[in-house]
Amino acid sequence: MAAPSTRSTRPDDRKYTESHEWVKVDGENVLIGITDFAINELCNGNEGDLVYCDLPEVGRALDQGETFGEIESVKAVSDLYTPIAGEVVEINAAIEDHLEILSKDPWNQGWLVKIRPNSKDSPKMMDAQAYEKFLAEKKH
Amino acid sequence: MESWRLVVTWGADPSFNMGLDEALLEAAEAPPTLRLYSWSPDTLSLGYFQSLADVPGHDRARALVRRITGGGAIHHVRELTFSIATSLDHPIYRGPVAESYARVHAAIAEALRGAGVEATPRGTTPLDSDRAGTGMCFHTSTPLDLAWAGRKGVGSAQRRKHGRVVHHGSIKLGDSVLETGVATLPGRGTNPGPAEIGTLLTEAMAKHFDLAFERAVPDAVERGRARQLGVRYIDPAFVRSR
Repeated sequence: MAAPSTRSTRPDDRKYTESHEWVKVDGENVLIGITDFAINELCNGNEGDLVYCDLPEVGRALDQGETFGEIESVKAVSDLYTPIAGEVVEINAAIEDHLEILSKDPWNQGWLVKIRPNSKDSPKMMDAQAYEKFLAEKKH
Repeated sequence: MESWRLVVTWGADPSFNMGLDEALLEAAEAPPTLRLYSWSPDTLSLGYFQSLADVPGHDRARALVRRITGGGAIHHVRELTFSIATSLDHPIYRGPVAESYARVHAAIAEALRGAGVEATPRGTTPLDSDRAGTGMCFHTSTPLDLAWAGRKGVGSAQRRKHGRVVHHGSIKLGDSVLETGVATLPGRGTNPGPAEIGTLLTEAMAKHFDLAFERAVPDAVERGRARQLGVRYIDPAFVRSR
Protein backbone atom coordinates (compact mmCIF):
# COMPACT_ATOMS: atom_id res chain seq x y z
CA MET A 1 0.00 0.00 0.00
CA ALA A 2 1.36 3.43 -0.89
CA ALA A 3 2.11 5.81 1.97
CA PRO A 4 -0.48 8.57 2.31
CA SER A 5 0.55 11.68 0.39
CA THR A 6 1.60 14.68 2.47
CA ARG A 7 1.33 16.97 -0.53
CA SER A 8 -0.96 19.91 0.04
CA THR A 9 -3.96 20.47 -2.20
CA ARG A 10 -3.43 24.21 -1.80
CA PRO A 11 -0.76 26.17 -3.68
CA ASP A 12 2.67 25.97 -2.07
CA ASP A 13 3.91 29.20 -3.69
CA ARG A 14 2.41 31.38 -0.94
CA LYS A 15 1.84 31.73 2.81
CA TYR A 16 -1.35 31.45 4.81
CA THR A 17 -2.80 33.04 7.96
CA GLU A 18 -5.06 31.72 10.69
CA SER A 19 -7.71 34.17 9.54
CA HIS A 20 -7.64 32.46 6.12
CA GLU A 21 -5.87 35.01 3.96
CA TRP A 22 -3.10 33.98 1.56
CA VAL A 23 -0.07 36.10 0.66
CA LYS A 24 1.96 35.59 -2.50
CA VAL A 25 5.11 37.49 -3.45
CA ASP A 26 4.72 39.32 -6.76
CA GLY A 27 8.01 41.02 -7.60
CA GLU A 28 8.50 43.80 -5.05
CA ASN A 29 4.86 43.60 -4.03
CA VAL A 30 2.59 40.98 -2.48
CA LEU A 31 -0.82 39.77 -3.58
CA ILE A 32 -3.39 39.05 -0.88
CA GLY A 33 -6.51 36.93 -1.23
CA ILE A 34 -8.70 34.65 0.86
CA THR A 35 -8.59 30.87 0.84
CA ASP A 36 -11.06 28.38 -0.54
CA PHE A 37 -11.81 27.42 3.08
CA ALA A 38 -12.87 30.99 3.93
CA ILE A 39 -15.04 31.21 0.84
CA ASN A 40 -16.72 27.92 1.60
CA GLU A 41 -17.39 29.01 5.19
CA LEU A 42 -19.18 32.07 3.83
CA CYS A 43 -21.19 30.53 1.01
CA ASN A 44 -21.18 26.77 1.63
CA GLY A 45 -20.43 25.93 -2.00
CA ASN A 46 -23.10 28.26 -3.39
CA GLU A 47 -21.18 31.01 -5.18
CA GLY A 48 -24.36 33.08 -5.57
CA ASP A 49 -24.35 33.58 -1.80
CA LEU A 50 -21.47 36.06 -2.07
CA VAL A 51 -23.15 39.41 -2.64
CA TYR A 52 -20.76 42.28 -1.96
CA CYS A 53 -17.09 43.02 -1.56
CA ASP A 54 -15.65 46.36 -0.53
CA LEU A 55 -11.95 46.90 -1.27
CA PRO A 56 -9.69 49.80 -0.22
CA GLU A 57 -8.63 52.76 -2.30
CA VAL A 58 -5.30 52.56 -4.06
CA GLY A 59 -2.70 54.48 -2.08
CA ARG A 60 -4.12 53.61 1.33
CA ALA A 61 -1.50 52.76 3.96
CA LEU A 62 -2.29 49.63 5.95
CA ASP A 63 -0.87 48.43 9.24
CA GLN A 64 -0.25 44.76 9.83
CA GLY A 65 -3.50 43.10 10.86
CA GLU A 66 -5.64 46.05 9.77
CA THR A 67 -8.97 45.56 8.03
CA PHE A 68 -8.56 46.34 4.33
CA GLY A 69 -12.04 45.45 3.18
CA GLU A 70 -15.28 43.66 3.89
CA ILE A 71 -17.11 40.84 2.19
CA GLU A 72 -20.81 40.08 2.47
CA SER A 73 -22.41 36.72 1.91
CA VAL A 74 -26.17 36.30 2.02
CA LYS A 75 -26.16 35.96 5.80
CA ALA A 76 -22.86 37.38 7.10
CA VAL A 77 -20.48 40.31 6.72
CA SER A 78 -16.81 39.52 7.42
CA ASP A 79 -13.72 41.68 7.56
CA LEU A 80 -10.66 41.13 5.38
CA TYR A 81 -7.27 41.55 7.07
CA THR A 82 -3.80 42.23 5.77
CA PRO A 83 -1.01 40.26 7.43
CA ILE A 84 1.50 42.62 5.78
CA ALA A 85 1.89 46.35 6.47
CA GLY A 86 2.28 48.48 3.38
CA GLU A 87 0.63 50.62 0.74
CA VAL A 88 -2.17 49.42 -1.53
CA VAL A 89 -0.82 49.73 -5.08
CA GLU A 90 -3.63 47.94 -6.91
CA ILE A 91 -6.99 46.34 -6.20
CA ASN A 92 -8.74 43.62 -8.18
CA ALA A 93 -11.76 45.74 -9.11
CA ALA A 94 -13.25 42.89 -11.18
CA ILE A 95 -14.04 41.08 -7.94
CA GLU A 96 -16.46 43.77 -6.77
CA ASP A 97 -18.74 43.08 -9.75
CA HIS A 98 -17.96 39.38 -10.22
CA LEU A 99 -17.78 37.73 -6.83
CA GLU A 100 -18.10 34.32 -8.44
CA ILE A 101 -14.41 34.64 -9.35
CA LEU A 102 -13.61 34.00 -5.69
CA SER A 103 -15.32 30.62 -5.78
CA LYS A 104 -14.01 29.64 -9.20
CA ASP A 105 -10.37 30.65 -8.81
CA PRO A 106 -9.43 31.93 -5.33
CA TRP A 107 -5.71 31.37 -5.96
CA ASN A 108 -5.08 33.29 -9.19
CA GLN A 109 -7.88 35.46 -10.58
CA GLY A 110 -9.29 35.81 -7.07
CA TRP A 111 -6.55 38.01 -5.60
CA LEU A 112 -8.00 41.02 -3.80
CA VAL A 113 -5.27 43.60 -3.22
CA LYS A 114 -1.67 44.17 -4.23
CA ILE A 115 0.44 45.75 -1.49
CA ARG A 116 3.92 47.28 -1.51
CA PRO A 117 5.28 46.08 1.86
CA ASN A 118 6.84 48.57 4.25
CA SER A 119 9.49 46.05 5.20
CA LYS A 120 11.27 43.14 3.58
CA ASP A 121 10.76 41.14 6.76
CA SER A 122 7.51 39.27 6.60
CA PRO A 123 5.59 38.15 9.68
CA LYS A 124 5.40 34.47 10.55
CA MET A 125 2.80 32.71 8.45
CA MET A 126 2.02 29.11 7.54
CA ASP A 127 3.04 27.23 4.41
CA ALA A 128 0.37 25.21 2.62
CA GLN A 129 1.03 22.04 4.58
CA ALA A 130 0.94 23.81 7.94
CA TYR A 131 -2.28 25.59 6.92
CA GLU A 132 -3.93 22.28 6.10
CA LYS A 133 -2.83 20.88 9.43
CA PHE A 134 -4.27 23.99 11.10
CA LEU A 135 -7.60 23.43 9.33
CA ALA A 136 -7.63 19.76 10.28
CA GLU A 137 -7.06 20.64 13.96
CA LYS A 138 -9.76 23.31 13.78
CA LYS A 139 -12.32 20.66 12.89
CA HIS A 140 -11.73 18.80 16.16
CA MET B 1 -23.83 23.71 31.37
CA GLU B 2 -22.27 26.91 30.04
CA SER B 3 -22.85 30.34 31.62
CA TRP B 4 -24.15 33.12 29.36
CA ARG B 5 -25.12 36.70 30.09
CA LEU B 6 -28.65 37.86 29.43
CA VAL B 7 -28.73 41.60 28.74
CA VAL B 8 -32.13 43.27 28.39
CA THR B 9 -32.45 46.86 27.14
CA TRP B 10 -36.03 47.71 26.21
CA GLY B 11 -36.82 50.94 24.39
CA ALA B 12 -33.28 52.20 23.82
CA ASP B 13 -32.39 54.75 21.14
CA PRO B 14 -31.00 53.58 17.78
CA SER B 15 -27.49 54.91 18.37
CA PHE B 16 -27.15 53.02 21.67
CA ASN B 17 -28.72 49.88 20.23
CA MET B 18 -26.18 49.60 17.41
CA GLY B 19 -23.28 50.87 19.52
CA LEU B 20 -23.92 48.28 22.22
CA ASP B 21 -24.00 45.43 19.72
CA GLU B 22 -20.61 46.52 18.38
CA ALA B 23 -19.31 46.88 21.95
CA LEU B 24 -20.47 43.31 22.67
CA LEU B 25 -18.79 42.15 19.45
CA GLU B 26 -15.55 43.71 20.70
CA ALA B 27 -15.86 42.29 24.23
CA ALA B 28 -13.60 39.27 23.80
CA GLU B 29 -13.17 38.80 27.55
CA ALA B 30 -16.91 38.83 28.31
CA PRO B 31 -18.97 35.63 28.52
CA PRO B 32 -21.20 34.84 25.54
CA THR B 33 -24.17 37.21 25.58
CA LEU B 34 -27.79 37.04 24.51
CA ARG B 35 -29.26 40.52 24.31
CA LEU B 36 -33.00 41.24 24.07
CA TYR B 37 -34.02 44.73 23.03
CA SER B 38 -36.52 47.06 21.41
CA TRP B 39 -36.36 50.55 19.92
CA SER B 40 -37.56 54.02 20.76
CA PRO B 41 -38.55 55.70 18.56
CA ASP B 42 -39.48 53.17 15.89
CA THR B 43 -36.45 52.96 13.60
CA LEU B 44 -35.58 51.80 10.10
CA SER B 45 -32.21 50.03 10.07
CA LEU B 46 -30.37 49.70 6.78
CA GLY B 47 -28.15 46.73 6.03
CA TYR B 48 -24.44 47.51 6.22
CA PHE B 49 -23.97 47.72 2.44
CA GLN B 50 -27.48 48.86 1.55
CA SER B 51 -28.22 52.11 -0.26
CA LEU B 52 -30.88 54.35 1.28
CA ALA B 53 -32.25 54.85 -2.24
CA ASP B 54 -33.03 51.12 -2.37
CA VAL B 55 -35.57 51.52 0.44
CA PRO B 56 -38.25 53.79 -1.05
CA GLY B 57 -40.35 53.79 2.13
CA HIS B 58 -37.55 54.90 4.44
CA ASP B 59 -39.13 58.25 5.31
CA ARG B 60 -42.07 56.48 6.97
CA ALA B 61 -39.94 55.46 9.95
CA ARG B 62 -39.24 57.99 12.72
CA ALA B 63 -35.50 57.35 12.82
CA LEU B 64 -32.79 55.94 10.57
CA VAL B 65 -29.73 53.91 11.44
CA ARG B 66 -27.25 51.71 9.59
CA ARG B 67 -26.53 48.27 11.07
CA ILE B 68 -23.17 46.58 11.44
CA THR B 69 -24.77 43.50 9.82
CA GLY B 70 -25.71 43.08 6.19
CA GLY B 71 -28.92 42.20 4.37
CA GLY B 72 -32.05 44.29 3.87
CA ALA B 73 -33.73 47.04 5.87
CA ILE B 74 -35.84 46.33 8.95
CA HIS B 75 -38.52 48.54 10.47
CA HIS B 76 -38.05 48.01 14.18
CA VAL B 77 -41.56 48.41 15.49
CA ARG B 78 -43.73 45.81 17.22
CA GLU B 79 -40.93 43.25 17.26
CA LEU B 80 -38.45 41.52 19.51
CA THR B 81 -34.90 42.34 18.44
CA PHE B 82 -32.12 40.16 19.77
CA SER B 83 -28.40 39.80 19.35
CA ILE B 84 -25.99 37.03 20.23
CA ALA B 85 -22.33 37.91 20.75
CA THR B 86 -19.67 35.25 21.19
CA SER B 87 -16.50 33.76 19.77
CA LEU B 88 -16.47 32.13 16.36
CA ASP B 89 -14.91 29.14 18.10
CA HIS B 90 -18.12 28.60 20.05
CA PRO B 91 -19.81 25.32 19.00
CA ILE B 92 -22.90 27.25 17.86
CA TYR B 93 -20.85 29.29 15.36
CA ARG B 94 -18.01 26.95 14.44
CA GLY B 95 -17.91 25.97 10.75
CA PRO B 96 -19.83 27.32 7.78
CA VAL B 97 -22.17 30.29 8.24
CA ALA B 98 -25.14 28.24 7.03
CA GLU B 99 -24.64 25.61 9.74
CA SER B 100 -24.59 28.27 12.47
CA TYR B 101 -27.93 29.57 11.20
CA ALA B 102 -29.41 26.09 11.23
CA ARG B 103 -28.40 25.72 14.91
CA VAL B 104 -29.70 29.11 16.04
CA HIS B 105 -32.88 28.81 13.98
CA ALA B 106 -33.66 25.44 15.56
CA ALA B 107 -33.69 27.18 18.97
CA ILE B 108 -35.79 30.08 17.65
CA ALA B 109 -38.28 27.63 16.14
CA GLU B 110 -38.58 25.99 19.54
CA ALA B 111 -39.27 29.39 21.13
CA LEU B 112 -41.90 30.17 18.51
CA ARG B 113 -43.53 26.80 19.11
CA GLY B 114 -44.13 28.06 22.64
CA ALA B 115 -46.00 31.00 21.11
CA GLY B 116 -48.16 28.65 19.06
CA VAL B 117 -46.31 29.00 15.76
CA GLU B 118 -44.71 26.18 13.77
CA ALA B 119 -41.79 27.94 12.07
CA THR B 120 -39.64 26.04 9.58
CA PRO B 121 -36.75 26.99 7.28
CA ARG B 122 -38.05 28.26 3.95
CA GLY B 123 -36.16 25.71 1.88
CA THR B 124 -36.32 25.97 -1.88
CA THR B 125 -39.83 27.41 -2.25
CA PRO B 126 -40.14 31.22 -2.47
CA LEU B 127 -42.46 32.83 0.06
CA ASP B 128 -45.70 34.78 -0.35
CA SER B 129 -44.00 37.62 1.53
CA ASP B 130 -41.22 38.00 -1.08
CA ARG B 131 -41.61 41.38 -2.82
CA ALA B 132 -39.27 43.13 -5.20
CA GLY B 133 -38.33 46.78 -4.85
CA THR B 134 -39.01 47.49 -1.17
CA GLY B 135 -35.46 46.87 0.07
CA MET B 136 -36.91 45.29 3.21
CA CYS B 137 -35.31 42.23 4.79
CA PHE B 138 -38.68 40.61 5.44
CA HIS B 139 -39.59 40.91 1.75
CA THR B 140 -36.54 38.89 0.69
CA SER B 141 -35.96 35.29 1.72
CA THR B 142 -33.25 32.66 1.53
CA PRO B 143 -33.52 28.90 2.12
CA LEU B 144 -32.28 29.38 5.70
CA ASP B 145 -34.96 31.87 6.75
CA LEU B 146 -37.65 30.84 9.22
CA ALA B 147 -41.20 31.15 7.93
CA TRP B 148 -44.73 30.17 8.80
CA ALA B 149 -47.95 30.40 6.83
CA GLY B 150 -45.79 30.88 3.72
CA ARG B 151 -44.35 34.15 5.02
CA LYS B 152 -41.04 35.21 6.48
CA GLY B 153 -41.23 35.74 10.24
CA VAL B 154 -37.62 36.05 11.45
CA GLY B 155 -34.97 38.36 10.00
CA SER B 156 -31.34 37.59 10.76
CA ALA B 157 -27.79 38.56 9.84
CA GLN B 158 -24.29 38.10 11.23
CA ARG B 159 -21.18 40.26 11.48
CA ARG B 160 -17.88 38.38 11.88
CA LYS B 161 -14.85 40.30 13.08
CA HIS B 162 -11.56 39.40 14.78
CA GLY B 163 -12.67 35.86 15.54
CA ARG B 164 -15.99 36.95 17.03
CA VAL B 165 -19.57 37.19 15.81
CA VAL B 166 -22.62 39.27 16.52
CA HIS B 167 -25.83 37.69 15.26
CA HIS B 168 -28.81 40.01 14.83
CA GLY B 169 -32.37 38.77 14.78
CA SER B 170 -35.85 40.27 14.56
CA ILE B 171 -39.10 38.47 15.31
CA LYS B 172 -42.19 40.33 14.15
CA LEU B 173 -44.96 40.64 16.71
CA GLY B 174 -47.24 42.91 14.68
CA ASP B 175 -47.67 44.75 11.42
CA SER B 176 -45.49 47.55 10.08
CA VAL B 177 -46.44 49.91 7.27
CA LEU B 178 -43.13 49.03 5.62
CA GLU B 179 -43.35 45.27 6.06
CA THR B 180 -46.80 44.35 4.87
CA GLY B 181 -47.62 40.72 4.28
CA VAL B 182 -44.95 39.22 6.52
CA ALA B 183 -45.52 36.59 9.22
CA THR B 184 -46.41 38.03 12.61
CA LEU B 185 -47.36 36.31 15.82
CA PRO B 186 -50.76 38.01 16.33
CA GLY B 187 -51.72 36.81 12.86
CA ARG B 188 -51.63 33.30 14.27
CA GLY B 189 -54.04 34.05 17.08
CA THR B 190 -51.55 34.81 19.83
CA ASN B 191 -50.65 38.23 21.15
CA PRO B 192 -47.36 38.20 23.07
CA GLY B 193 -45.15 41.20 23.69
CA PRO B 194 -41.38 41.36 23.20
CA ALA B 195 -40.73 40.41 26.84
CA GLU B 196 -42.82 37.24 26.55
CA ILE B 197 -41.14 36.18 23.30
CA GLY B 198 -37.78 37.10 24.80
CA THR B 199 -38.44 34.76 27.72
CA LEU B 200 -39.43 31.98 25.33
CA LEU B 201 -36.26 32.57 23.30
CA THR B 202 -34.05 32.55 26.40
CA GLU B 203 -35.62 29.33 27.66
CA ALA B 204 -35.37 27.67 24.25
CA MET B 205 -31.70 28.60 23.88
CA ALA B 206 -30.96 27.39 27.41
CA LYS B 207 -32.60 24.05 26.68
CA HIS B 208 -31.31 23.64 23.14
CA PHE B 209 -27.66 24.51 23.85
CA ASP B 210 -27.49 23.55 27.55
CA LEU B 211 -26.88 27.13 28.74
CA ALA B 212 -27.40 28.84 32.10
CA PHE B 213 -28.37 32.50 31.67
CA GLU B 214 -27.52 35.10 34.25
CA ARG B 215 -29.30 38.45 33.95
CA ALA B 216 -26.70 41.23 33.75
CA VAL B 217 -26.28 44.82 32.67
CA PRO B 218 -23.50 45.84 30.30
CA ASP B 219 -20.46 46.87 32.34
CA ALA B 220 -19.23 50.48 32.45
CA VAL B 221 -16.66 49.89 29.70
CA GLU B 222 -19.28 48.37 27.40
CA ARG B 223 -21.74 51.19 28.08
CA GLY B 224 -19.06 53.78 27.39
CA ARG B 225 -18.01 52.03 24.18
CA ALA B 226 -21.66 51.70 23.15
CA ARG B 227 -22.17 55.46 23.36
CA GLN B 228 -18.85 56.11 21.61
CA LEU B 229 -19.40 53.58 18.81
CA GLY B 230 -23.08 54.35 18.43
CA VAL B 231 -22.49 57.88 17.12
CA ARG B 232 -21.41 56.52 13.75
CA TYR B 233 -24.56 54.48 13.16
CA ILE B 234 -26.90 57.49 13.14
CA ASP B 235 -24.46 59.92 11.51
CA PRO B 236 -26.19 61.09 8.28
CA ALA B 237 -22.85 60.81 6.47
CA PHE B 238 -22.71 57.11 7.35
CA VAL B 239 -26.42 56.38 6.96
CA ARG B 240 -26.40 57.94 3.47
CA SER B 241 -22.90 56.72 2.58
CA ARG B 242 -23.80 53.98 0.10
